[in-house]
Amino acid sequence: MTEKYILKKDHLQPFLRKLKKSHQLVAPVQNRHGDTLFTEIDNLDKVHIDLDNQPQNSLKRFFFPQQEVLFTYHNPARDSYYFETVADESAPTLYFGVRPCDMSALLYMDVVFLKNARDPNYLHKRQNNILVGLNCNEPFANCFCNATRNGPFIDFGFDLQLTDLGDRFLVEYDRSRGQEIISSWRQFFAEAAESDVKAQYQAFLEARGKFRLQVHLDQAVKKLAEDEVPESVWEELSMRCQDCGGCAYICPTCTCFTIRDQPISDSDGERVRAWDACTFSGFTLMAGDHNPVDRQMRGIEKRFRHKLQFDVKKDNRPSCVGCGRCVNICFGGTDIVRFINMTCCGNI
Amino acid sequence: MPSQLLELYLPKAAEIQEVIEENSQIKTFVLAFVDPEYNDGFSYEPGQFLMVSVPHCGEAPISISSTPVNRGTVHLSVRRAGKLTEAMHDMHKGDVLALRGPYGRPFPMASLVGRDLLFVAGGIGLAPLRSVINTCLATGHERSITILYGSRTPSDIAFKADLQAWGQRDNVSCQLTVDRAEPGWDGAVGLVTALLGHCTLAPHETKALLCGPPMMIRAVLGQLADRGFADQDIITTMERHMKCAVGICRHCHMDDKLVCKDGPVFTLEELKQLNVMELQG
Amino acid sequence: MAGLATTFGSGAMTNSINEIENAQVILVIGSNTSEAHPQVARRMFTAMDRGARLIVIDPRRTLLARRADIHLAIRPGTDIPLLNAMMRVILDENLADDLFIEMRTENFYGLRDMLFRLDLEEAAGICGVDLARIRAAAQLYGRAQKAVICYCLGITQHVCGTSNVQSIANLAMMTGNVEKEDTGVDPLRGQNNVQGACDMGALPNVFPSYQQVDNDDYREKFERAWNVSLPPKPGLTLMQMTHGGKDGQLKAMFIMGENPVLSDPVISKVEETLDNLEFLLVADIFLTETARRAHVVLPAASFAEKTGTFTNSERRVQMVRQVIPPLGQSRTDADIIMDLSARLGYVMDYESPAEIMEEIAMLAPIYGGMHHDRLENSWGLQWPCWDREHDGTPFLHKYYFTRGRGRFVPAVHEPPAELPDDDYPFLLITGRIYHQYHTGTMSRHSPLLSREAGEALLQLHPEDGRRLGLRSGDMVRMRSRRGEVQVKAQLTETVKTGEVYTTFHFSEMPINLLTISAKDHFSQCPEYKVCAVHLEKV
Repeated sequence: MTEKYILKKDHLQPFLRKLKKSHQLVAPVQNRHGDTLFTEIDNLDKVHIDLDNQPQNSLKRFFFPQQEVLFTYHNPARDSYYFETVADESAPTLYFGVRPCDMSALLYMDVVFLKNARDPNYLHKRQNNILVGLNCNEPFANCFCNATRNGPFIDFGFDLQLTDLGDRFLVEYDRSRGQEIISSWRQFFAEAAESDVKAQYQAFLEARGKFRLQVHLDQAVKKLAEDEVPESVWEELSMRCQDCGGCAYICPTCTCFTIRDQPISDSDGERVRAWDACTFSGFTLMAGDHNPVDRQMRGIEKRFRHKLQFDVKKDNRPSCVGCGRCVNICFGGTDIVRFINMTCCGNI
Repeated sequence: MPSQLLELYLPKAAEIQEVIEENSQIKTFVLAFVDPEYNDGFSYEPGQFLMVSVPHCGEAPISISSTPVNRGTVHLSVRRAGKLTEAMHDMHKGDVLALRGPYGRPFPMASLVGRDLLFVAGGIGLAPLRSVINTCLATGHERSITILYGSRTPSDIAFKADLQAWGQRDNVSCQLTVDRAEPGWDGAVGLVTALLGHCTLAPHETKALLCGPPMMIRAVLGQLADRGFADQDIITTMERHMKCAVGICRHCHMDDKLVCKDGPVFTLEELKQLNVMELQG
Repeated sequence: MAGLATTFGSGAMTNSINEIENAQVILVIGSNTSEAHPQVARRMFTAMDRGARLIVIDPRRTLLARRADIHLAIRPGTDIPLLNAMMRVILDENLADDLFIEMRTENFYGLRDMLFRLDLEEAAGICGVDLARIRAAAQLYGRAQKAVICYCLGITQHVCGTSNVQSIANLAMMTGNVEKEDTGVDPLRGQNNVQGACDMGALPNVFPSYQQVDNDDYREKFERAWNVSLPPKPGLTLMQMTHGGKDGQLKAMFIMGENPVLSDPVISKVEETLDNLEFLLVADIFLTETARRAHVVLPAASFAEKTGTFTNSERRVQMVRQVIPPLGQSRTDADIIMDLSARLGYVMDYESPAEIMEEIAMLAPIYGGMHHDRLENSWGLQWPCWDREHDGTPFLHKYYFTRGRGRFVPAVHEPPAELPDDDYPFLLITGRIYHQYHTGTMSRHSPLLSREAGEALLQLHPEDGRRLGLRSGDMVRMRSRRGEVQVKAQLTETVKTGEVYTTFHFSEMPINLLTISAKDHFSQCPEYKVCAVHLEKV
């Protein structure tokens, strides 16, 4: 990747309008209550695309909905039991304004849903989309992607990646589709000057210095690998955990799910897949009330070990992307940052 | 999308050909897929499991108890434990349920060839081992086979027809024990470990396959270790809550391993790398 | 709420929930906060992170009790002797706030005389708690500059519920721990908008804003506004209505969003009362056990289908906004009431919930400045909020108590109406669990919540379990003098020997078949927390 382009901020809306003709558009939108969320946009002129605040949700639900019907089942008689697939009607989609954390999370989800087996529902939603990312010049209050090493700037995974340079965006591409978009809509893109590239690097340098949280993630990873996390840490965290599942729901890389039957009538129903959380005791409870996990003392252990130990062992990188959303959502104070701090500094 | 891909979570209807009542808690269901072509092409290996769907009850993993040598039907031996298995116990010949699979890493059958074999099972734990034993016998395993089977009471002894057939083989020694005797029982009373104590075994030439309740597994492991069995020669199967069975949903995690994909069959050597509750007293 | 009304003059949390974070000592009594009020518990955890000390008074070793600096595992129903003992220690050790008592309260001598007659050893004996630990708790609370007391239904659901609350108020006033920020007495409300319902006069004796019906001025005000004549006599309490309907004088009932067939004590009595009504009308979002007995059921709309306000424990009035129109034939509560009223001959013509709020602001002084446009884009306002210019009140009783001076009301121990004996040797405590809400009308529709907690469990101590030959998972037949249920046992050291605990969420195990109808003399709140039961293995 050598070519870099300039897109004037004035031209962003016209550019999105063009792409919107062939794609559903999803971008961070600030609603009338002041909350910024990734939202499907119908009318580009009636919404406020907010690139100044961190979207409260990640892209997770667009690829892996909170609830999804896998198929319907029918059991009209004891000797008849059949299934009907449900057509996935999701349209080709443009995801705009994706931050490096959420982009990295999506790449991680690709591994989860496509490596051991190819999940049909995920694959369908992942095909035919365009990812337009935005580097973070200003990390948000709880961000620590510098510690997870996937931000504040990213140079892979996207189709197009924007860097804010004041009145214009520097535009890079990674995949061939990004290159195609630039060549199809050449009127929006000017070639970047040497000074623009320098300005981008300066923005990166400055962004790196603006993180407010100091998170010693590497050290926690090391302690986990060497089995040096004191028992009291697990106990304290498990006791504080209020069992709401909020961390798993908000987390862009938490992908555990459950599958269950949702009866509609005596003879028919839907097989539904829905988000689940490893912190719930029902997650591992087996028939006959046997639970292989000591929920009271170690209910929360799996969540941190998975992200910072098992995934590191397998893929050589943690599956926490440092977005900091769990810090905001957790009301027991058992988020990953607290875990890392407790493990590394002995703070509670 | 290719149709095979769409079917990752889609089960196939299977009709109950026969229900064998093993004891008051365990029934063996003899099943054949409704689609004859699919049924003909269906194959599996000992130790693998199927995801069983029962209307309105969702799915549960059940290990296959028949040998793949006998084609045409597949056996699932099921103990009453939860909502789905209760519903299965209410099903009869001719009723239809649905299956997907087979899933999981099977027993390492090739490594059993040319070795003495020791099978230790408790209760429903004999189900997956039954698949291995019948496969070994059907494929002409020549070295000695010892089967130790523990049940709660004499009327809890399951798979009686198999036990009887195995006992009649020249190279098979089949020994039963019960926790609690009943009138008319003249066999052994006590734990399987007591039977094990009386067996003559050549640890370096034997593979031990275990399946049963955690208490039994722990006791047997201790004794095998004392007698010089190497960890890689001890093989067992693990049980976990499962949803997808294809390595995505992560319900069946054991540290960095997934029971549905990396198991359910593990050697003791592999399990010792993990933090497994069943192995901890 | 009678307890705080008589001592402080206002029956609500004196603090804002956020203020708990800044307290130095938090005393939790009769509240399993981390299960029943997790959003309050989170503030307690934050306070503890900042160095606050926690005292928990609870018969059970709850999760919160395990985190406490001092846990006093009292015998159920012995709160008064415990609080009295704490106050006596505070007196003895000169930790009382004499100036506060002098400036802001009355009748302290009444309390002091009673305390001086108290035998500390005897009080500790009644509570079943070591005196040294009571002393330590009293010192911790008495020395704090900023201390908060949180209590819940473990205090109020006793025959002496009102006196329990008065004792808590006594303790707080005696140490000057009210009338300040981050300092006070905080009853945690059991349900969303219970505070709002009380504020709006869903009580037998008051109009909105706690204006007594037997006060002529107040009554005339409402008569003028509504253009009807109103009865000057207080109405019936809940228990009077659902337990006999005042000897059958009650002919018809309209029940909205409540499920007394599961939630009220002595279910058989409730069922009999409802079945004897000439007409029962129920409005609810699901067909509850109560709705099944109704002559007419009106489908009501859920929170997502209506616009209006909820008032929470900290007196905060917040907007809820309609997200989707009411599904099917369901209608909003306001719509149901207005239509019903019109058909009964009294037209209520409100074009929007905002118009109703305008009337509330006009008639209910504590809501005087609450209008939808002010609530729309904010986190709401806390009452009292007297007029449009008023910013609301984060903590109550600044400068003076609502009733003028805070009144000490001494209380003496009154044992629970029914205690274990040879025939019924176990003491049953009832309560809630995290994953289910009330009678499960709503929460049991969630498959995930049902997976986490799908059935009632009876907690009992492993030693009692051994004696009865019970293992976790075994079914137990539990009977009281009033009824019998079967429930699954869970052996745990959370409860003491001789005491058992379960929940009332599950219709398959209607625990209120067993509970007692004995109730507090003032508030008429039933004693759900204590009754005697007999257990045997099924």
